[in-house]
Amino acid sequence: MIGMVLGWGLVALGLIGIILDLGGEFLLGGIPPEFWWVFALWGLSAAGFAVVRGQMFVFVMKRLLEAGFVIFVIATLTFLLLRFLPGGPFDAEKALPPDIKANIEAKYGLNKPIAEQYLSYLGSLARGDLGESYKYIGRPVANIISETLPISFQLGIYSLLLAFFIGIPLGVFAASKHNSLLDNGLMIFAISGVALPSFIVGPLLVMVFSFGVPFSAMQGLLPPALWESPIYYILPVLTLGLRPAAIIARMTRSSMLDVIQADFVRTAKAKGVAEQVVLYKHVLKNSLIPVLTISGPLVAGVLSGSFIIEIVFGIPGMGKHLVQSVSNRDYPLILGMTLVFSAMLVIANLIVDLLYTVVDPRIKLG
Amino acid sequence: MSNVVATAIPQDPSVVPSSVSQGKSLWSDAWKRLKKNRAAFVSLYFIVFVCLVAVLAPWIAPYSFETQNIDRALMSPDGVNWLGTDSLGRDMFSRIIYGARMSMSVGVFTAIFSLLFGGAYGALAGWLGGWVDSSLMRIIDILYAIPSLVLLILVGVIFNSLNLFENPELKALTGIFMALSVVGWVSLARLVRGQVLQVREMLYVEGARALGASGWRIVGRHIFPNILGPIIVMLTFQIPSNILFESFLSFIGLGLQPPYSSWGVLANDGWRAKSYPHLILFPGMALFFTMLAFNLLGDGLRDAFDPKMKNR
Amino acid sequence: MPISLSIPLTISLAKSLNRQLAALVILFALVGTACTRGNGDIEVELPGGKKTKLALKETLRVPATSEPPSLDWIKSSDTASAEITSNLMEGLTQYDLTDKELGLKPALALKWEATDSGRKWKFTLREGVLWSDGVPFTAQHVADAFKHLLTRETAASYAYSLFGLKNAQAYNQGKVPWEEVGVKITAPSEITFELDKPMSFFPYLLSHHATFPVRLDVIKKAGDRWTEPENIVTLGPYVLKAWQHDKIVFLERNEKYYDAKPAIKNIVFYMIQEIGTQINLFDSGKLDAVHTLPSVELRKLRTRKEHREVMRLGTAYYGFNVTKPPLDNVLVRRAISMAIDRQQVVQMLAGGQVPLTSWVPTGMFGYEAERGLSFNPDKARELLKQAGFADPSKVPKIEIRFNTNEDHARIAENIQAQLKKNLGIEIELKNEEWKVFLNTLKIDPPQMFRFGWQGDFPDPDNFLNLMVSHSDNNHTKWKNPRFDELIAKGAGTLDREERKKIYSEAQKILVEEDVPVVPLYIGVSHLLVSERTENYPVNAMSIFSFKATRLKQ
Repeated sequence: MIGMVLGWGLVALGLIGIILDLGGEFLLGGIPPEFWWVFALWGLSAAGFAVVRGQMFVFVMKRLLEAGFVIFVIATLTFLLLRFLPGGPFDAEKALPPDIKANIEAKYGLNKPIAEQYLSYLGSLARGDLGESYKYIGRPVANIISETLPISFQLGIYSLLLAFFIGIPLGVFAASKHNSLLDNGLMIFAISGVALPSFIVGPLLVMVFSFGVPFSAMQGLLPPALWESPIYYILPVLTLGLRPAAIIARMTRSSMLDVIQADFVRTAKAKGVAEQVVLYKHVLKNSLIPVLTISGPLVAGVLSGSFIIEIVFGIPGMGKHLVQSVSNRDYPLILGMTLVFSAMLVIANLIVDLLYTVVDPRIKLG
Repeated sequence: MSNVVATAIPQDPSVVPSSVSQGKSLWSDAWKRLKKNRAAFVSLYFIVFVCLVAVLAPWIAPYSFETQNIDRALMSPDGVNWLGTDSLGRDMFSRIIYGARMSMSVGVFTAIFSLLFGGAYGALAGWLGGWVDSSLMRIIDILYAIPSLVLLILVGVIFNSLNLFENPELKALTGIFMALSVVGWVSLARLVRGQVLQVREMLYVEGARALGASGWRIVGRHIFPNILGPIIVMLTFQIPSNILFESFLSFIGLGLQPPYSSWGVLANDGWRAKSYPHLILFPGMALFFTMLAFNLLGDGLRDAFDPKMKNR
Repeated sequence: MPISLSIPLTISLAKSLNRQLAALVILFALVGTACTRGNGDIEVELPGGKKTKLALKETLRVPATSEPPSLDWIKSSDTASAEITSNLMEGLTQYDLTDKELGLKPALALKWEATDSGRKWKFTLREGVLWSDGVPFTAQHVADAFKHLLTRETAASYAYSLFGLKNAQAYNQGKVPWEEVGVKITAPSEITFELDKPMSFFPYLLSHHATFPVRLDVIKKAGDRWTEPENIVTLGPYVLKAWQHDKIVFLERNEKYYDAKPAIKNIVFYMIQEIGTQINLFDSGKLDAVHTLPSVELRKLRTRKEHREVMRLGTAYYGFNVTKPPLDNVLVRRAISMAIDRQQVVQMLAGGQVPLTSWVPTGMFGYEAERGLSFNPDKARELLKQAGFADPSKVPKIEIRFNTNEDHARIAENIQAQLKKNLGIEIELKNEEWKVFLNTLKIDPPQMFRFGWQGDFPDPDNFLNLMVSHSDNNHTKWKNPRFDELIAKGAGTLDREERKKIYSEAQKILVEEDVPVVPLYIGVSHLLVSERTENYPVNAMSIFSFKATRLKQ
């Protein structure tokens, strides 16, 4: 009972958050920051409750410990690899005189032995300090992440919602009409989402919806770039969402096809349960496991921002830092981004594993 | 950065069915089922056609891919240059034909390499199980989270400096080929491991083991034939994602060495040139239809190798 | 959280397709209602989260290619930051942008004069200038800036630009105290600089943002966060009102500015990296300018009425590593330089670039039109024969390396084709990621490489100094003591005719005799500028100072 309240309350809070985010400017003047604290606390207690009730406490702790170790190794390896990367953070078109470069390197401790640099990085990491960016002088890496990640998150969540809303029904339809014209048609449509790089899809959408080529009635319908209000979200969300939508649609279709043949479905059909009910109640639910499996990395990838989408639509998210920090050899920023990404990956995969037990109670973790 | 891989190579064990029935009937059944799937069959013909174009490029292309004619730069399609010219006055039709060569070899060879390496790794993990499996998988987790851009640049630099080949075409390819393989094998290792894990628990393998068959014999006689179908399916999905990933590399400036071009390079040069739609339209179409064909064929093969599909 | 949110949501919704469709409809309806807004005004978030609306008719919207790495003008060393700080601050001198030769005019200094044959420079400062917090500007703020810039711990990239000052380098290395550096406040509003050796172009250095005055008290109080809008104190035509990182910078007219108040009240910089996106925004009326244009598009864009172009103070060239065969042979280098038709390169780029055979760019003091090796394939083949390569196919393979970039690739491909056609030699191309390329140049320069030079100030010294043997920017490994001697002599000569002669000889050595470099062309800046603006800054130095720009009503 408490679990139900907590779980569905979380869903309701999330919906309220989305509504506020999309239409908030008329309703309440945006989302108050306290809202997210309530949401986060609620989510944590819901998760905690589920974990305790499902007797998965040991499992979760073990996974988190393991994840901590993996993240530590990732940080170490990345730290070392960066030092082997040719070109340093302060190499520029106009080469700096050696004296000046030495001053700058001394300021960031880059003149010390690598082992010492590594230890001091670990030391500050233990204090929760990700260091300062080399490129954005004096700007803490933690600030860069906290300012850009929410925007990538916003973009990512809408894209994922779109992907699930489009992908799952598409997969279900296609599977229920297997090998028919509709199946082929829907799958071709879905594959179109993965068939072109997003740096072509994005500008293509802009051409149609902002500049009205070739349908001049569409001219000026949507802004071509920036990230100001919901109208600005549509094109980037569409561009980013199409790819996961296609992946989810095909995944749903194939796993539905697998499940449709299963014995329990035949039994249900034989018992005279209506076709629609069988399809949605039994088949879809059991087909979701593979979809969930792929969702882990997909969610982490989409939420941490997409470089191409953010560049093409001028969105101030984290995706472009993920790529540009490497181009700039901005060591602390690269490390910070890597840590955030791997933490997100770990958390997403853990949540997916926990969700398995929701979808299929037969699955036991441990 | 690794999210690039996460979204670019979205594969999963469950795309691929476990084919449990044994023997040659599996292959002939699969072929029969594939023939029924018209979309997949048309795709197969199309892919064969593209491969032929790639191999025969020097004989098919009306011009050389590198002959410049500045006076005819950026011409729209006409009788001389059927698909127009680029900013150096090179024939787009010829460049797309030669682009097929580069794109297809990047796609195919990288997929094969990742498959060999990733497959061996995954199979080892899946077959041995236990602590070997979990430590091998942790290594994969780690590699997955390391910024792939860092790996891409490093590998590219190392292989470019090695100068393995004299042939300029191969030379242009090696860097990008190695870079893609290094990030590509990880996801394939995961897939193969999942397959092996599934098959290992199957009854007939248990049976063979009970009868005292050696490990290698079981792998060779039972496991390998049973995961071969799924592996072919994987390849048809891996190839297009490699081709697409190559275009992403061009976008971030780690692409092929000029003057060679792939479809990814052409598309990347073209998408900014709004006034010259032929620069993006034709490479874009080549990319689109090839992606579509590989994916449809993959879906078809997946269905065909699925033994549960027999009566559909 | 959103992860755990979306999945149960989907599961529940997937149970009923109708409900799912309904949800989709609601979602799009919500988005739809949100779309009905917008009247052209710009909404900007101020520090503290308060939002304000700026009227479009008094707001200029311009692109910034990236988040400015730092608005600390002493430490920053990039163009994105300079675009903004050049509106916030001023130096002792400033460019006279109406002058074709790009001379200087007074800014914070009213006048200046050289004594001791260019070894000492005395600047008389303007009085009555106020900082944005009301504190009067004094000579101390100039001395503070110099000290801050040169102090080792500041670790400023541009500290070396003042190494001509007496003892500056020694102070930077911590060898002498500040008092021994050649910066003296000689009267309440007079400051005198003493140099190691005469430097005719010294006043130009004081128009650069690294030498702008600074308030040490402000820096001390706010630390690294002193450039945030709530802390920063400036004295230029505009003040910083908001800086939403990675998104916008918002400047407002400085009511305390000492000179004529700027006509435009607000300036908003949008950080948009992709040029195609900038053009899209420009075309849909959301940006008033685009500062660089994609080169493939130039043929079409140059015909647009909003298009502006101006020759840049920057050149592109190819360098040789003169220690690697066959390029250790000067005859081969000369042959290659003569076998490249710059006109064709420029025609291919189609951006109005000016072909260049000399080192000092067109229009600058010291430029000689006839200097350099002009295109002559017959002579080039002859030289190659003299070098011992009667059969061009016997020439060892030459590699051209460049950093990955569409234009650099096109140029390299063109030069490859030209050298094959005109000399019959084989060239191999190799592109590298930018920082890898810089590292290659530093450690093991390739046989041939692309590079460019963007001038810091319009003086031949700034260009020729690049090729002296101790220069960190000379990647050719070429050393010529006579050339070094001439450049040092030229910098210390005040008489213009005399200097011209010295530079003429130096250029002859560089581009006609030893040929470690092949100059290609002078760059051109291309912009799109909205017709609602007047007097938009379009200049060779790419200084985007908007104090003289107006908006048509």
